[in-house]
Amino acid sequence: MPVVSQTVRVKVLFFGRLKEIAGQGEDSAEIAAGATIEQLFTVFTSRRPELAKFRASLAASRNQEFAAWSTPLHTGDEVAFLPPVSGG
Amino acid sequence: MTVPLHDDQILFTREAIEAAALIGHVRGAEDGAVVTFDGCVRNHSHGRPTLYLDYEAYESMALVKMQEIAVEMHTKFPIHRVAMAHRLGRLQIGETSVFIAVSSPHRPAAFEACRFAIDTLKRTVPIWKKEYFEGGAVWADGELPPVPAEAPARKSAS
Repeated sequence: MPVVSQTVRVKVLFFGRLKEIAGQGEDSAEIAAGATIEQLFTVFTSRRPELAKFRASLAASRNQEFAAWSTPLHTGDEVAFLPPVSGG
Repeated sequence: MTVPLHDDQILFTREAIEAAALIGHVRGAEDGAVVTFDGCVRNHSHGRPTLYLDYEAYESMALVKMQEIAVEMHTKFPIHRVAMAHRLGRLQIGETSVFIAVSSPHRPAAFEACRFAIDTLKRTVPIWKKEYFEGGAVWADGELPPVPAEAPARKSAS
């Protein structure tokens, strides 16, 4: 086992009302290797507590596929937090 | 050069959608029907007059999702071609936000496929609209896309 904990850098996208709350549509985060999408989200709720109340009504994607919140992340992944969709 | 399995046309645009071009794209000599859906900006929402709408999308993912819908349409229904265009940016009342055209040799398939396409798009494609009215704006109520409940089983290290 490595002595130094490894981290991975991921790209993070926000859309719709989340983008307005996050203050920007695109960000990045350094998280522990193997951390999940759920854990990534908490990085941002600690910065912007208002985001937390939207958790129950969000979907997430990893590399442009809808993904479970328990999905582990890898370096270079693109994660998006998606409010209920309203196209058409 | 490979020949595409289906010559469908799926796109986003920030200009007015050219419906005639989309219809022209799907219409072939073997077709007996072209069914279209023209989704347009309504002048009211929740009993309140709407001024205009702003649309945004996770474009790269949304395009893939729309292409997947087209593939599924061909799997489910005996249709010929699909054209699907969604507009982004600011739209005024009466303008077309989404246009779908489906051709088929016989009309039932085109009707059913077109209905399937717009219903699935509204549920699964990452697009959002903000409604502006006198004195404010709200993000439209949407649908939560179907998302896997569990992460896929860990792949063996390669």
